Amino acid sequence: MTQALATTVVVASLYALLAAGYVLVYRATRVLNLAQGDMMTLGGYFLFLVATAVPGAPALSVVAAVGLSALSGFVIYRLLMRPMAGHPIFAAVLVTVTLGILLRAAIVLVYTDRIRHPLPLLGLANPPRRLPGGAVVSTFDLFTVGVAALLFVALFAFLRLSPLGIQMRAAGEKALLAAQRGINFQLLFALSWALAGFAGALAGTLYASNVRLDPSLGVLGLKAFAVALVGGLDSLGGVIPGALIVAAVEVLSVRYGDPLLADVSPFLCLLAMLLVRPWGLFGTKEELERV
Amino acid sequence: MSLAGGYFKTTYDGDLALVDTRLRRVTLAALVIALLVLPRFASPFALDLVAQVALAAVGALALNMLTGFAGQVSLGHAGFIAAGAFTTAVLVEHRLPSPLLALPAAALVGAGLGVVVGIPALRLKGLYLALGTLALHHVVLYACGEFQNYWGANTGVSIPPPRLGAWVLKGTTAWYYALTSVAALVLALSVNLQRSRAGRAWMAIRDREIAAESVGIDVALYKVLAFVWSSAITAIAGALFAYQRAFVSVEAFGFFVAIEYIAMIIIGGLGSSLGAVLGAAFVTLLPHGIDAAFARLSVQGGAEYYLFPLKFGAFGLLMAVFLVFEPQGLVGIWRRIRNWFFLWPLRYRPLRPAS
Amino acid sequence: MTPAGVVTLLLEAENLEVVYHHVATAIQGVSLAVPPRAIVALLGTNGAGKTTTLRAISGFLGADDAQVVSGRVTFLGDTVTGRPPHELARRGLVLVPERDKVFETLTVQENLRALVRGRHAARAAARPLVTLEQVFHYFPVLAERGRQLAGYLSGGERQMLALATALLCRPVVLLVDELSLGLAPLVVESLMTLVARLRDELGLAVLLVEQNAGAALAVANYGYVMEHGRIVYDGSAEQLLAHEDVREFYLGVGRREGRKRYTEVKQYQRRRRWF
Repeated sequence: MTQALATTVVVASLYALLAAGYVLVYRATRVLNLAQGDMMTLGGYFLFLVATAVPGAPALSVVAAVGLSALSGFVIYRLLMRPMAGHPIFAAVLVTVTLGILLRAAIVLVYTDRIRHPLPLLGLANPPRRLPGGAVVSTFDLFTVGVAALLFVALFAFLRLSPLGIQMRAAGEKALLAAQRGINFQLLFALSWALAGFAGALAGTLYASNVRLDPSLGVLGLKAFAVALVGGLDSLGGVIPGALIVAAVEVLSVRYGDPLLADVSPFLCLLAMLLVRPWGLFGTKEELERV
Repeated sequence: MSLAGGYFKTTYDGDLALVDTRLRRVTLAALVIALLVLPRFASPFALDLVAQVALAAVGALALNMLTGFAGQVSLGHAGFIAAGAFTTAVLVEHRLPSPLLALPAAALVGAGLGVVVGIPALRLKGLYLALGTLALHHVVLYACGEFQNYWGANTGVSIPPPRLGAWVLKGTTAWYYALTSVAALVLALSVNLQRSRAGRAWMAIRDREIAAESVGIDVALYKVLAFVWSSAITAIAGALFAYQRAFVSVEAFGFFVAIEYIAMIIIGGLGSSLGAVLGAAFVTLLPHGIDAAFARLSVQGGAEYYLFPLKFGAFGLLMAVFLVFEPQGLVGIWRRIRNWFFLWPLRYRPLRPAS
Repeated sequence: MTPAGVVTLLLEAENLEVVYHHVATAIQGVSLAVPPRAIVALLGTNGAGKTTTLRAISGFLGADDAQVVSGRVTFLGDTVTGRPPHELARRGLVLVPERDKVFETLTVQENLRALVRGRHAARAAARPLVTLEQVFHYFPVLAERGRQLAGYLSGGERQMLALATALLCRPVVLLVDELSLGLAPLVVESLMTLVARLRDELGLAVLLVEQNAGAALAVANYGYVMEHGRIVYDGSAEQLLAHEDVREFYLGVGRREGRKRYTEVKQYQRRRRWF
């Protein structure tokens, strides 16, 4: 039982990292970035890239990977999403789908679809650890939980307390009014995309070190958007209960049901939420009418 | 020969006619004749390509009914195709491989699925509807995957060629004629639906649902109807797909297939039957075009490996380009060219629709 | 015609023409000027083009599909036509919009921080140094409601919050769109008096767009009247208050004698025969 609990928390942390990216981009630009999973994969491959170039330097590799991903997010907004400003939202979402396709194609072009393991290149190991209560998790499982917790605390502090964070929330609510108050909201939107890249890269580097790295990791992103929707697309706080719920359903369905069901269970949660409470646990109800 | 755009009608019959101007009638006749005699001149490879385009067009036209006419965004298209294909597979496993049974059965299953999707979809709009259909697509695929495992065929189910009485549908030419006829039928259906009461109701719902409701259109009924029509036709396409490939496997119906169909109607031009066909042609022929370009450039061996991600990437890039720069798709380009010819030598900047 | 006896104009619009969606001309040939330390009123009925004029001056968003097809806007001597809104706001040309004037999901305190305080001293005109204490001095109710979500404020409180946030941007010229909309007469009066105080105490210049001509002309120095996208009359506030047409159509104090009752108007009589 404790093992199930521990696994749930670990899985939930990974989903939470990805879902944070969805929520950040959605709150700012009202676009659902369906390429978030592929941005996570990109982060993992950036780690691999730096680790192959400079082996044995884990701090440098991680910082570089995460930094490059954040930069990519910024560039993606500037080149791809900003021209979609006047278009209907669905078209912008489709553009993110094509972005995912492009990212994946680029990764396969450069790295083929061989499974990679960056961890040895970093000079680190991933030994299992025994938790009080008998559950066994890997070291990087613990890192995942820790990083997710840190990220959320940092994001909360940033958005609630710092001037830039307040400006970002303002720009996400009413871009025109923000502009009329001197806020350069295009820059803040690009920043939100950079943050999404950052969070995705955290997830990607952790997963690549913990499990494996291959171009098809993007499917985790699709599962994570179910988390974002269950919690409420515009609620960062809702991600945490959403992630826990979806992870719990998934872990339980693997244990007591069919393993194939595990892949579908996030979508079942998603469907259930859409039928009962489409705006999620903590989302704003008005969001529904906007599109 | 009248070169008019066919905008001015003088009789009711003229207004109702599908093909109004003489130019259009001549063009249509020429096209039909060309399609009929094509097997005499074209290679089997080319015929197979046209057949593939035709089948894709059926799916694209069906999706266009749902998303283009009625404005109900659906990312679950691949699920409906899979439903049709797997209905055929189920019947084959039960030793009932006749297409006379499979096609209507697929249509029924598709329609039923359409109701199952359509009724909850009434509560959702826009992005949430798209996400809901995406989730449903995964659920349908899961069910199909379970069926595939259950019948012990881990890689897939083999489908024998369809036979109608004594005659067996086999061979490139036969499939070419069959699929192009089906596509022509569905195209005629689509164009007629567009002008029918249902079609107009759909377009009203797409443009301003509240206004549609307030003029007495039963929005719920027509929305569900859109799902039913679209998924029934899509399921038929899935059944045909199963027969043509002679093999059904759940891997063939992933999310990417749904994206391909969305790309078809977007690249072609949303809300236009012609656009769906053009988009289907474009998306189906694109990978072969890249193959041809690659062969022409005669890259050394080992580089074929790059072909797959290149095709994948080119597809994504083109879709992005169309979304950003040409939201009206190929049909928009075609209309601009046509207008240029009609209005020459006058230059007239047409009204851009308020979006 | 510009406000007489003025040497440096802070804001000047010359022959503005705005087209929406490439087809619909909203305003044409609109010229106006705002001198320092003055309230200039822009009057007109619904749909006259007042808000479009303000948006043309303060900048459209790229996604609005509106173009300034001819004309020029000069602010502090620089041509600023077509510049994006955030740039103009930072330079000191701040708009208080008609709708969507506060951030509803942010608290009042957060609203007062969701802005960029203009820092650099503006050329040709002093930028009033507005601090948070001054804001609370002018709008004490905002201090009380600090932690409340702006979405829950009443209409008058929202308007005050909108004005406060605009002031915190240290404007040189304040553009106010429909200050009185949806507010009770007493509240309108107090807000107008407040705007007059801001002009007198902070040296602010204000372009006041108003449907409520009486309230606006009570505090304005100069005024323009717009109809169907054009300026049809302008003059000092006293001139406007004395003008016959302005009195009849905008102030509702027309000549009683000789005015027809609507039942006597020919169109009405023609329709009546159907009943």
